[in-house]
Amino acid sequence: MTDATHFRAPRREGFFTPRRRRFLTSVVLAVICAIWVYPMVWMIAASFKPNSELFRNPGLIPIHPTFGNYVRAWTEAHIQRYFFNTLFVAVGSVIITTTSAALMGYVLGRRPMPGKWLLMGLMVFTVFIPQGYTIIPVFELLSRLGLGQSLWGLMLATCGQSIVVFTLLFAGYFTQVPNELDEASRMDGVGPVKTFLFVMLPLAKPIIVTVVVLQSLQAWNDFLLPLVITLANPALRTLSVGIYSFKGENFVDWGGMTSASTIAIVPIILLFLFLQRYFIDGLAGAVKG
Amino acid sequence: MSSVKLTNVTKRFGALEVIRGVDIEIGGGEFCVFVGPSGCGKSTLLRLIAGLEEISSGTIEIGGRRVNDVDPSHRGTAMVFQTYALYPHMTVERNMGFGLLMNGMPKVEVKSRVDKAARILQIEKLLGRKPRQLSGGQRQRVAIGRAIVRDPDVFLFDEPLSNLDAELRVATRLEIAKLHHQLAGSTMIYVTHDQVEAMTLADKIVVLRDGSVEQVGAPMELYESPANQFVAGFLGSPKMNFVRLEGGITPDGRKLALSGDQAVRAATLGIRADALEAAAPGEGALAGEVSVVERLGDSDFVHFRTSWGQELVARFPNGSGARVGAALDFAITGQTHFFDAEGLALSGITLDPAQTAGATV
Ligand SMILES: Nc1ncnc2c1ncn2[C@@H]1O[C@H](COP(=O)(O)OP(=O)(O)OP(=O)(O)O)[C@@H](O)[C@H]1O
Ligand SMILES: [Mg+2]
Repeated sequence: MTDATHFRAPRREGFFTPRRRRFLTSVVLAVICAIWVYPMVWMIAASFKPNSELFRNPGLIPIHPTFGNYVRAWTEAHIQRYFFNTLFVAVGSVIITTTSAALMGYVLGRRPMPGKWLLMGLMVFTVFIPQGYTIIPVFELLSRLGLGQSLWGLMLATCGQSIVVFTLLFAGYFTQVPNELDEASRMDGVGPVKTFLFVMLPLAKPIIVTVVVLQSLQAWNDFLLPLVITLANPALRTLSVGIYSFKGENFVDWGGMTSASTIAIVPIILLFLFLQRYFIDGLAGAVKG
Repeated sequence: MSSVKLTNVTKRFGALEVIRGVDIEIGGGEFCVFVGPSGCGKSTLLRLIAGLEEISSGTIEIGGRRVNDVDPSHRGTAMVFQTYALYPHMTVERNMGFGLLMNGMPKVEVKSRVDKAARILQIEKLLGRKPRQLSGGQRQRVAIGRAIVRDPDVFLFDEPLSNLDAELRVATRLEIAKLHHQLAGSTMIYVTHDQVEAMTLADKIVVLRDGSVEQVGAPMELYESPANQFVAGFLGSPKMNFVRLEGGITPDGRKLALSGDQAVRAATLGIRADALEAAAPGEGALAGEVSVVERLGDSDFVHFRTSWGQELVARFPNGSGARVGAALDFAITGQTHFFDAEGLALSGITLDPAQTAGATV
C-alpha cells in the first residue's frame, strides 16, 4: 500500500481498534459501576437473609433466602404505616410545590411586576439559610396553626424546603418562551388561564418533571424535618425516621432494617426509571421547540 | 369587507415617540403594504392595529367601528408573526384549530375549517406533524393557515417572508398574492422592509420613516411620482441616482437645459438607471468611469464613478459591451425627478435632452 495509508493508520491503532476501545471502556465503567452499587446490592441481598446468617455469610447470595424480614418489617415494625405516611407527604407536597412553583415562576418570569427583583432577591437569600436553623421556628409555626401533630403539617413543611429553587427554575424557563406565543394566543382570543394551562405548562414539561422528581426525592428521603415533627407521635413517622428506629439500644435488626430500606427505595427507583429521559432533559436545559 | 382607518395615531414607549401622528386609510379588500427602513415603526404600527400594543393617542377604526379599547381577539384581525409563533407542542391541525376550540366552537366545525384552510395552502399532508418537523416554508403556511381559520376581516402580516431563503421568498410571495384573490374581500396589511415585496404585492403602499408617513399611494404612483427624495430612493431597484444641482449645473460643470416654473429651486436631480443611455463622448449629461458591470442576462447594470466621486448606475441593454475602466458619457433619455433643497419633489420641470449638450460652460 502507499505511504498515505500508513500515515492515516499508525501501528499503535493495530491493537486499539474502535471496537476494542469501546470494550475496554465498558469494562472500566462496569467495574466503577459495580463498586458504586455494591452497598445497595448488599442491602438488597441482606434483606433476604435471616438475621443469623447476615454476618456469617459474606457472599451476596443468601443461603436460606427468606421473606421473613419483609413480613416482619411491613407489619410488626409498622413499615406499612410509614410507607403510606411517606407516600401521603410526598404526593401531597409534589402537587402543592409543582402547582405553586409553576404559577409563581410564570408570574416572575413573564409578567411585569413592581418589586419583582427585590422579591426574587429575598427568595434567593432564603436558599442560603441551612435547614437546621429554621426547623424549630417552622415547627413552632405549625403548632400554632394546629398542624404540629399531623401529616398535613409535615406535608406543608416539606413543601417549603426547595420551593424557591423550583420557582426560580420555572421563572428562568418561562422567561425564555417567546412573547409571540402569548400574543398569538391573545389574538386567538384565548384567556390568560387557558394560555397558561394549554400553551405554557405543556412547554414547561421538562421543568415539571424535574420538579416532580426532585421534590419526590426530597420528601421521600427527608430525615430531620419528619424526625422533629413526629418525635412525639410515632404513628406519623415517615420511612426514613421509621427505618432509623430499627436501631434499638442493644440490638439492631439488620434484616428488618435492610428490607425496610429496600421497600423505601423501590418507589424512587421506579419513579426515576419512568421519568429519567425528561428529567435529564430538564436539568440539561436541552429543551427544543 | 372591512376598511381600516387610522387617525392621528401616536405611540410612545416611555419618553420615546415611535409613531408620530399617523393617518392612513385602507379600503375594504385592499392589500396594503407598510414599507420603510428598519426601526421606522412598521411592526409597532401593525401591533397597534392588532391591539397587541395600546395607542397613546388617536383613533383606530376597523370596519367603521372604533376599536381603541377593543380586545385583540374581538377586532376581527388575525396576525401572522415574523417568527411564525406556532405552538411547538401541538400538531399542525391543533395549532390551527386551537383558538377556535378554546372559544368553544364545536369540534366538527373546527375540523372542517382547518381542512379547508389546509386545502387552500396545500398542507393537508402535514396536519399530523409538529412544527419542528416542518421546513421554514411549511411553518409559514401553517402560520397563515392559523390566521385563515379564524376567518378574519383583516389579515396582518409582519415580515412573513423574512425567514425564508431567496427562492422560497419569491414563491411564497406569489402564493400570498394568490391568497388575496382567493380570500376575496379580506383586507390585508403587510409589513416589509423589502421594496420589491411592496411593489409586487400592494394595491396601496405606505412608506414610513421615523414613525411618520412619507407617502401613501399605488405602487406605480409612488414609483413614478415620489413625493420626496426618501420615497424616490426607497422604491425601485437599483436605487434611483441622485445628482446635486446648482442652478441647473452638475458638479462637474455640465449645464442641463431645464424649463418650468420651479426649475430654479431644483437642488437634486433624480434619474433611474433605465433612464440613462450611452452617449457620444463629451455629449452626455453625465460622465464617469465604469467601475462594475453586473450582467443580469437581459440587461447590464453599469456602475460608474463620476469625476466628483459619486457612484451612479445605468441600465444598458444586454450586450452593451461596457467594460470596467472605460470612460463613458450618459445621456438622460427617460423620466427625470427634481427635488428642492429639503428633498421635496418639484413638479413641472422638464429637461430638454437635445439641448443638454455635454460641453462644460
Ligand atoms: N416595547 C418597546 N419598548 C421600547 N421601544 C420599542 C418597543 N418596541 C419597539 N420599540 C422601538 O420602536 C421603534 C420601531 O420599532 P419597530 O419594531 O416598529 O420597527 P420596524 O419598523 O418593525 O423595524 P424592523 O424592520 O427592524 O422590524 C424602534 O426604534 C424600537 O426600538
Ligand atoms: Mg419589525
